[in-house]
Amino acid sequence: MSGDGSVDEVEDHRAYLAQVMAEIDQEVRRRRSSGDLPARVERQLDELFLEHSPVAGRGGALEDALALVDSSAFIDPVVPVASNRSGGAVVKKGLRSLNLWYVGFVTHQVSQFAAATSRALHLVEDRLGELARELDAQKVPPAPVVDVPGDGDPTAWWVAGALDALGSVPGRVLHAAASDGWLVRHLVAGGVDAYGVDPRVGRIDAGEREGLDLREEGAVDHLLAVEPAGLAGIVLSGVVDGMAHGERRQLLELLGDRLTPEGVLVIHAWSPSAWGSDAAPAEADLSPGRPLRPSTWSHFLEPMGYRVGVEEGPSGADYVVTAFRGRADRPR
Amino acid sequence: MTDPGTDGARPAGAVHQFIPALIPRDATGSHTLLLRDVLREAGWRSEIFAEATHDELAGQSHRIEEYPSQARPGDVLVYQFSTSSVVAEVLASRSEPLILNYHNVTAPDLYGSWDPPAAARSEEARRQLAVLAPKAALGMAVSAFNERDLRDAGCARTTVAPVLVDLERSVADPDPRTAARLRKDRAGGGADWLFVGRVVPPKAQHRLVEALWAYRRLYDPAARLHLVGTAPSRRYLTALRGFVADLGLEDAVKFHGEISDGALAAVYAAADVYVSLSAHEGFGIPLVEASRVGLPVVALGVAAVPETVGDAGLLVGVDDPAVVAAAVDRVLSDDRLRLGLVDAGRRRSGEHSMVVAGRRAVEAVATVAGAPPEGSPPAVPGDVP
Repeated sequence: MSGDGSVDEVEDHRAYLAQVMAEIDQEVRRRRSSGDLPARVERQLDELFLEHSPVAGRGGALEDALALVDSSAFIDPVVPVASNRSGGAVVKKGLRSLNLWYVGFVTHQVSQFAAATSRALHLVEDRLGELARELDAQKVPPAPVVDVPGDGDPTAWWVAGALDALGSVPGRVLHAAASDGWLVRHLVAGGVDAYGVDPRVGRIDAGEREGLDLREEGAVDHLLAVEPAGLAGIVLSGVVDGMAHGERRQLLELLGDRLTPEGVLVIHAWSPSAWGSDAAPAEADLSPGRPLRPSTWSHFLEPMGYRVGVEEGPSGADYVVTAFRGRADRPR
Repeated sequence: MTDPGTDGARPAGAVHQFIPALIPRDATGSHTLLLRDVLREAGWRSEIFAEATHDELAGQSHRIEEYPSQARPGDVLVYQFSTSSVVAEVLASRSEPLILNYHNVTAPDLYGSWDPPAAARSEEARRQLAVLAPKAALGMAVSAFNERDLRDAGCARTTVAPVLVDLERSVADPDPRTAARLRKDRAGGGADWLFVGRVVPPKAQHRLVEALWAYRRLYDPAARLHLVGTAPSRRYLTALRGFVADLGLEDAVKFHGEISDGALAAVYAAADVYVSLSAHEGFGIPLVEASRVGLPVVALGVAAVPETVGDAGLLVGVDDPAVVAAAVDRVLSDDRLRLGLVDAGRRRSGEHSMVVAGRRAVEAVATVAGAPPEGSPPAVPGDVP
């Protein structure tokens, strides 16, 4: 480019900028999928910085703050008098003597106030500790994510139907819990803009190495960060099974907000009878809730504007709910 | 400085400016001083009234309390609006035609819990804008992005007049000691990134640190980042320094603080690329300065940045470290791209020359104040070659 700014040159430059941006996008995808800089590492950078933020470290922050209050609660009215200059120390001592009666009077009151404040804060800390212990004993734990029969198997009975329902949605599709990305892989191969989340440590690693867009976080945490109407499809498998009623209701409200007006929701879950059998995972005993009967999903979802189809698996151990919003067709 | 009330040669036709604080090397302060010169050159009497004035600029302004006793019929008042101030309350009660020269107010939530007092000031500034905007005879925004804010606030008549910038400060004589120190650092190789702006959460210097970390990991292990600017948010600065230490980048991230024009020129001269991931810019003067000195620009394309930079910068849509690192690498390794950005930048900075921007400001003011008293042509000083 010669730099004379002719129309042709400017147009050429703009076209090249667009080409470069597309190539940068490809370069970033390549770097992430090759493991040079996984998306997870970028998120860890954010988390590392947030540890320095004023709202970080909720557990120890009050303790640290109190230690700081304690260490600065006493104000010393006796100023240092050392000096590098000849006679400086004598002059400073004289000034200190002259001012000490007044400064001492003021600092005595400030120190008393600081000590009283510190004492009050310690009482607050003690009370908060008691409340935290009481709440801890009563709180309902979040539902664990579980593997549902057929998870990880792209030939499982419900997968073809899910791919069919989601194959033509205009927008992003989320799978939770995605495990190693087995369903995401199939959706992407079918031309769907899909990604997944799974909070279980290490479960996404293999898929992430493969270059799939997978994130190690829970479904609710992730959905809270998604913009309204930001998803055209959501597949939940092993997420809702053990949820308590309140947690499930909050999730449904969140799903309603994050799905587009014509979005598709697919839920793959354990059947209640199998949940109580020996085939169910250990998490079944540790969960605050149990799976709903398939027909109960219609009871929940139809008042929210979904058209709901329910299908039970051939073994009776699991079922799938497919729910369409708005003008989406093909209720199953 | 002339007394606005005692200059008997032109009893009418004064255009006076009001500003909360007149501070050297501050974007709004510099604009105010330059606009005063432009207005005077055009033929208007023009003085600056400030709530506070930095010692370095003593004699350049009057105290705001002095204005009522010196007001004359025919005065037009220009308010340099960028923060909350008692000046807004004073002007709201005046009857003279008011021009609101709007430099934008950062959204309070961008300060978050980092700087609650700054967030509170932003809230208050927005409230004051809502009071003054409907009253203003003209809303003069320094960018189209800001113009939208003015309209939303109820300003019936608006126009865009670019901020007045003395681009020569970025090419002043480089401070030799700073230049020598930077040369020594560069001897070990590695690219030098530069960002100029206050160290505050909305400028997102922490995202620059993340991007540098990614860039060093992927492309250039010896790269450095130079952060120039004062740090009014001690809490954010402390967090930033801690973060830099966590990442082992103490030797790679240089905090220069507020520096002289000569030192700034040396830093600009030594840099390889200007990178901005600021989440909020009402204009972004350093983006233009960087272009003026021939630095390629990589920036997050938000707020007024796209219109300030145009095609003189590589604008990224997200500030993900991998994306920014890849963009910087491309700019520094692709000669066609880099030279294209530099050429476009030089043309772009010409559009912000004092002649062009000054003429635009005079035209805008004349729509409220009428033609300058002596019909002087809108000649302005200090063109950029």
